[in-house]
Amino acid sequence: MIATVMMVCLRRLVHNRIELLLAFVVPIAFFSIFAVIFGGGVGAGGTPSIKVVAVDTVRNEPSRRVLAALRQTGGLHFIRDDAELDDTAQLPGATVLRDPASSAVKPLSESEATAMVRRGTAAMAIVIRADGERSVRAELLSDSSDQVAPQVVAALVQRALLTTLSATLPRPAGDVWAGSPTGVARADLNGQGPRLPPARLPQAIESTDDSVLPVTATLPVDIATAASSPVGVAPPLSASPPLATAGASAFDPVAAVVVTDVLGENKSNPVVTMYAAGIAVMFLLFGASGGGGALLEERENQTLDRLLTTGLTMDQLLIGKWGYLTLLGFTQTTLMFVWGQWAFGIDLYGHFDGFVMITTVTAGAAAAFGLLLATLCRTRGQLNGLSVVVVLTMSALGGSMVPRYVMSESLREAGLWTFNAWALDGYDKVFWRDLPVAELWPQMSVLMVSGAIFLVAARVLAIRWETE
Amino acid sequence: MGMDKVGSESTGEVAISLRVDSIRKRFGAIAALDDVSFSLATGQRLALLGPNGAGKTTLIRCLAGRAKPDAGTIELLGQRLPPSGGRERLGLVPQDIAIYPDLTTRENLVAFARFHGLRGSELRCRVDWALAWTGLEDRQNDLVGGFSGGMKRRVNLACGVMHSPHVLLLDEPTVGVDPQSRQRIFEMLDQLRDAGTSILLTTHHLDEAEQRCDRIVIIDHGRVVADGTLDALIGSTIGTSRQVRLRIDRPLQRPVPPWHVGPVVGSLGADSRSGDELLQTRVDDVAGQLPGLLETLSTAGYGVLNVEVHAPSLHDVFLHLTGQELRD
Repeated sequence: MIATVMMVCLRRLVHNRIELLLAFVVPIAFFSIFAVIFGGGVGAGGTPSIKVVAVDTVRNEPSRRVLAALRQTGGLHFIRDDAELDDTAQLPGATVLRDPASSAVKPLSESEATAMVRRGTAAMAIVIRADGERSVRAELLSDSSDQVAPQVVAALVQRALLTTLSATLPRPAGDVWAGSPTGVARADLNGQGPRLPPARLPQAIESTDDSVLPVTATLPVDIATAASSPVGVAPPLSASPPLATAGASAFDPVAAVVVTDVLGENKSNPVVTMYAAGIAVMFLLFGASGGGGALLEERENQTLDRLLTTGLTMDQLLIGKWGYLTLLGFTQTTLMFVWGQWAFGIDLYGHFDGFVMITTVTAGAAAAFGLLLATLCRTRGQLNGLSVVVVLTMSALGGSMVPRYVMSESLREAGLWTFNAWALDGYDKVFWRDLPVAELWPQMSVLMVSGAIFLVAARVLAIRWETE
Repeated sequence: MGMDKVGSESTGEVAISLRVDSIRKRFGAIAALDDVSFSLATGQRLALLGPNGAGKTTLIRCLAGRAKPDAGTIELLGQRLPPSGGRERLGLVPQDIAIYPDLTTRENLVAFARFHGLRGSELRCRVDWALAWTGLEDRQNDLVGGFSGGMKRRVNLACGVMHSPHVLLLDEPTVGVDPQSRQRIFEMLDQLRDAGTSILLTTHHLDEAEQRCDRIVIIDHGRVVADGTLDALIGSTIGTSRQVRLRIDRPLQRPVPPWHVGPVVGSLGADSRSGDELLQTRVDDVAGQLPGLLETLSTAGYGVLNVEVHAPSLHDVFLHLTGQELRD
């Protein structure tokens, strides 16, 4: 009897393609996606690089040498710098700001660099400042929503300072650093704060070469450990070895690098906002696909036949369902953020206008996508299988499950084909970057256009249900 | 298979609510409907019969505008219908329970009334009427999903008539319900007919068609093979003679000689041969011919254990026209 029960279960599984797909194909697909995200495997496109901009406020020989060394670092992608201005380096991929009116090259100002970090155009800005007459120091303007980039860039800048300046400058007396458990120098807006323990520096420097960068952790990791191991489980602090082992005897690069958070300083619980947005968008998609399933259910039990013999048209039916799903999604997301404000301190009230705008278009696009999935399928079973695969894939690539900044460039670009990424970018602009709602136009445009395309496609596919 | 249509009769001066003329519909190589023509008189109840796959549901879908005929015309109340739309005076009750199980009875009725364009006091009056009509006034606020099959069928039926259609199409309205519910559903249909609604229903319950319908159309292989009243169909197919079956007390030893009732000569059918204990024949006049048969058998020395007399039925007509072959 037991064998018969097992045989029946097995035969039912064999006859059900959707079950087979969910049982054997989907797990492998998701394993592959996350392997690519975290492992830099197939499709990762090589080493992920961090988008930075550089501002040289000193413009002397040491500052040029430091920046030149940084430009040679493969882990950094200078999306804008003053290389041509200085005529000290010609870098592939480095763009130079030109004044459109005069065609003259215009140096990047510190305020512009700060704005780029705030807008998310650059992950960090490296500001080189004078430190006495012969030396320089670096201030790193960071976006603390990216919890990996500051640690990596700090290590790379420290290496650059060490390798370019240590031979010519005397080392200050004593190691002055405040040990951070993360090993990352953090500063307040005045530029003060804990700095990288010198004990970790040699290992960090040796490991942060051009081929391997630690971009896998979602929590702050020990820079030295992160630079040398795939996932940062920080070992206990070791006793400080002599700094001379790193080959630097006259200069302390740790003291010369401070990280300034230009975004998260006044926010109560900003990271929760991004998780709320990620979860909300994913569940908008699941909710919409479930709502689209009601359409298939109506078709299967002939309710659709009956409805279409009344005064109701397919246009009215689809728009009615789209409107309902949009309203449901908006309410669902609003409730989540209201709960987030009450329980986790999300500043919903202060960003309500932007929230309403991005949530409305996201819910509308998700509703249209759910209807498109439903009209693509013939049965509710097919829809269930397809929606699980598509929604989880979009959520993984689009940043609902893991932040997109930990992904390789190619995966980040692939994520832009999902509207999760655009929606999350919109929430990021509203809640994290405090940008005015006018800045939402790219995300709003993409979501609105994609929503319209989904809805039209669903309507076209539904033609086959109107008459046979 | 090319069977001629039988039993056609003139509708005379009767007003026609629905006229179907030379409808054709193919699905690939299969002709689902092949030159189907018939009409439905006002206030008439017409049963559309046929084996599985004969084309009944396709025809209903064409009439409801849910399938587009390849050729032919459909007229509703004298107006030619487009392939889809323009069916405001037509009601459809699908074979499945095509209502929302997670709505209450009243919510379902209100929803379908609104889909049919009813608003305001007209809608409220019609919903109240439907609740009384279905006998579900006391269950109006209960979710339909928890109802019995018969109750769901009644709500299903009510949702199709909220707009008071002139013609109502029902695709197997009593499938899967108990005799009491069937009785109730046909009482509801009687009330609709009394109010002037023309009804076209498909069914596999031949007794329903026989007892509850004014006219019968039998369709097979996409063609109308019979159209008329039950009596007309019987007369034009198997005839009005009764079938008589007799069980005798021992096997037949030799052929029974013919017997005479006035000018009529009776005989056992060719199926009754030597060695049989069950004999059968057909008689046009039971009272006149049956005594002669019994006397002939008695004279031949046989005792008659049992006598069965069968009047010709729609079942006989149906099998006569569509054959005994299994349709899957």
